Amino acid sequence: MKQKKSIGTVFKNGIFAENPTFRLVLGMCPTLAVSTAVFQGLGMGLATTFVLVFSNFVIALLRNIIPDKVRIPAFIVVIATFVTIVDLMLKAFIPSLSESLGIFIPLIVVNCIIFARAESFASKNSVLLSITDGLGMGLGFTLGISLLSACRELLGNGTLLGIQVMPESFQPMAIALRPPGGFIMLGILLIIINAAGKAIAKRKVMKAKEAEL
Amino acid sequence: MQKKLIVSPGPHLHNHAVSTQRIMLDVVIALLPTAAAAVWFFGGSALMLMIVAVISAIAAEYVYQKLTHQPVTVSDMSSVVTGLLLAFNLPANAPWWLAAVGSFLAIILIKQLFGGIGQNFMNPALAARAILMLSWTGLMAANVLPHAGQWVAPLAADAVSVATPLTHGAEGFTLWQLFSGDVPGMIGETSKLALLLGGVYLLIRKVIDWRIPVSFLGTVAIAYFIQTGTLYSVESGAHNVLYQLLSGGLIIGAFFMATDYVTSPITGIGKLIMGVGCGLFLFVIREFSSYPEGCSFAILFLNVLTPLIDRFTTKKPFGFEKPTAPAKEAKA
Amino acid sequence: MSLYTRFPGGIHPHEGVNGKSATSVLPITETLPPSRVSIPMQQHIGAPAKPLVQKGDHVKMGMKIGEPAGFVSSAIHSSVSGTVVDVAPCVLASGLQADCVIIDNDFKDEWVELHPFENPEALDAAALSALARDMGLVGLGGATFPYSVKLMPPKVKIDTLIVNGAECEPYLSADHQLMLIKAKEIIEGTRRMQKAMGIEKVFIGIEKNKPDAIALMTKLCEDDPTFTVVALPVVYPQGGEKQLVYAITKRRVRTGGLPLEKGVLVVNVGSCYALYRAIYEGMPLIDRVVTVGGSVTKPANYLVRIGTPVQFLLDASQGLLPQARMMIYGGPMMGMAINRTDIPVTKGCSGITVLEKALMNSPETACIRCGRCVDVCPMYLCPSDIDKAMRKGWYDEAEKLGAMNCLECGACSWSCPAKRALTQSCRTCKKVIGDKQRAQRQQKAEAK
Repeated sequence: MKQKKSIGTVFKNGIFAENPTFRLVLGMCPTLAVSTAVFQGLGMGLATTFVLVFSNFVIALLRNIIPDKVRIPAFIVVIATFVTIVDLMLKAFIPSLSESLGIFIPLIVVNCIIFARAESFASKNSVLLSITDGLGMGLGFTLGISLLSACRELLGNGTLLGIQVMPESFQPMAIALRPPGGFIMLGILLIIINAAGKAIAKRKVMKAKEAEL
Repeated sequence: MQKKLIVSPGPHLHNHAVSTQRIMLDVVIALLPTAAAAVWFFGGSALMLMIVAVISAIAAEYVYQKLTHQPVTVSDMSSVVTGLLLAFNLPANAPWWLAAVGSFLAIILIKQLFGGIGQNFMNPALAARAILMLSWTGLMAANVLPHAGQWVAPLAADAVSVATPLTHGAEGFTLWQLFSGDVPGMIGETSKLALLLGGVYLLIRKVIDWRIPVSFLGTVAIAYFIQTGTLYSVESGAHNVLYQLLSGGLIIGAFFMATDYVTSPITGIGKLIMGVGCGLFLFVIREFSSYPEGCSFAILFLNVLTPLIDRFTTKKPFGFEKPTAPAKEAKA
Repeated sequence: MSLYTRFPGGIHPHEGVNGKSATSVLPITETLPPSRVSIPMQQHIGAPAKPLVQKGDHVKMGMKIGEPAGFVSSAIHSSVSGTVVDVAPCVLASGLQADCVIIDNDFKDEWVELHPFENPEALDAAALSALARDMGLVGLGGATFPYSVKLMPPKVKIDTLIVNGAECEPYLSADHQLMLIKAKEIIEGTRRMQKAMGIEKVFIGIEKNKPDAIALMTKLCEDDPTFTVVALPVVYPQGGEKQLVYAITKRRVRTGGLPLEKGVLVVNVGSCYALYRAIYEGMPLIDRVVTVGGSVTKPANYLVRIGTPVQFLLDASQGLLPQARMMIYGGPMMGMAINRTDIPVTKGCSGITVLEKALMNSPETACIRCGRCVDVCPMYLCPSDIDKAMRKGWYDEAEKLGAMNCLECGACSWSCPAKRALTQSCRTCKKVIGDKQRAQRQQKAEAK
């Protein structure tokens, strides 16, 4: 039974309902590793989005041609191609970002988000929907990693995007830039976002009940 | 008129001499000599830090429990104890907000988020101290000379820092100085005399079990005796048993931190194992690592190992006998 | 030289008004029998007795009105003479119902013909067991285990008989007073058991808070080298079977096993006296000593006919004091709280304890893992872990933790600073696990 999905729903899905960072909790490795500054976080997010959109596009195009038994190697070849493109582009045009992200750019190949979307969405849906899904998921991921990076950079450095935001007397919290701080910050963000999500859902239900009466 | 009778399952007698609140109150009473010593040696800073830490701890617990619609349990005084212990782990020239942040971290992150009282996986005060140490290393490392008996207003953050008794190459601290607390260090750690008074009070009131302090201190003493061979001598400087026993956070750790009920083993043998483990870890950190002091890390490590220790040291029920093969057949 | 070994754990519960210190000095008062008794058919462990009388029958004192049904069962006898009003279900202390023979007392106290044994010295175990079954003898320490089973010819050699005069339960002093006035009879009854079962040594264990009873018993046992009176430390639950065996013989009864397996027989002083009366006077078990203590106007030790309603005893004690808030059938640690006074006194009731509000529990708070429950548990259990397992519904985990070994003594709940209902959790676990084990056994039996 094929369900009619609209482009709008699919796009919003990736950002809110199934946000890869806060709902699906996928792609944690790059999220925790490179979110020490907003510049890095944004860069990683946008690079991943690029790879997501294009790999979803190609896999959706080829979805009826790739045999089921070899789909995993096929997906990886497609994804790796686009990651190589991103890698070379970053080396050429934004070398500082390429240096600071380091090994995490080639590791986009094994980012769970890209593989999960290829497996569960792009191989089963039309090209247009798959591109939209890739865009939505990628932007959701970018939003997530950027939010985390903003918190960590603010607390750990006092800056945002390199610009001093906190007052001079602010003593930065060194642990925020280290892995334990990353885990703790991510946990706190998850609490806030999930609590907010629950409260919003609850209010929706109550409003619907009131409308009935 | 006869009031209605209450029907509830037995037993119907209860020990009203103990309650969670009473136990926490006993700990606070035991900490009062240390608080007095802290103010005596470090003046206004110590007082300010203690007040800020305790109030922040109470506020953190109250706000968290209100926000999450849970019953407010501030009256059981456990947050007061955490706040006070955290304050004792700060240096005299720590800024007030360090105490507040530390209290919030201890109560909300380590204690409440894991399920509240009885569920914390690490000692909240020590875990908060570790986080503060990793986050603001400079602020936490600075130590000031004590001003015994002189009232000193709260210190500025950039007061001159001096070497603590355990800093490599430190000299010139007599045994009495170490014992009474006339040494640089965290405001609650220095006065061993006050701490021991509190520790003995807790032992008499049966709030803490003798096993952890004795095995902890015993292991450290034995380890240092094996290494240095001297109980105490002025020439050996820091390399003797008594100097090491009376330096750093060992005494406060052994009596007040490691003995925290939730994060120490519930079995008697488990407690001994924890004491020995803490002692060994402390010895290794002090002697073979770049940290001069490692009591908090030693205790935190054993805190995390406590569930495992409990699992392996639970006693079999009284009268348990291993079923032998013939008996198994007879049963079947 | 200490004759006893201290068992692990244990507590020292304190008492309120009219506690053991007040009631121990009160001699046993024989109450006037009540005008109506309700004698339940289930006053023992095992199958309930089958009623032998019906409405309108005239009964005499000591007449058998209930026939034992099954191997583990005991007879029931009428404690008054009069007319049977009804045989109907009545509510017992546990809240469950059992068939009761309700008799209107004609106050004539007509006895049936009694047949004391002519040659008590020649009694052997089989005869003793038959006598116990016929005379309705059960353990009067509270467990009410039928003595017909306990005194059967033993399969294992029994070398020690322990007479339980510990009475560790707070507020109760029934056994104490019984020992003071019937010491000779108790010893004689014990001797019959000793000879019949071929047991070498007899130990009489009495807690140190009963110095007069210890002195009296010691004096009466002076000439008999096989009898030793052991003065036990005052700890709760010193009177627990397994704890007593360990304290006196250093033997550990196997978990899930009986003292019999280790060659030890444990009997209550009250049961010994009942056995004496059955042998030498031919009297069945129709009354017992009950301590009424706590917040009552006039605490006392009463000799009570079986089937007497609790209200009758409260009236005899001139009613409850104004601060009374809980009435307990039994002692305050292992007794059951009741809220109606028409419940009859049965063979297992050793006291009626009334407590005031101040002694009762405060609301539960979170467990702080302090370990006090582990320290006081006489069975080396971890009540805190069992409680946690029970609240999560992990009954298999509770079984592995040894919940079935729990004595339900209440030491853990008593000592808990967080006021948690640890004993109740253990009880629940035992019930669930017990039901499951029974169902499994039944399945196995059906499969065969």
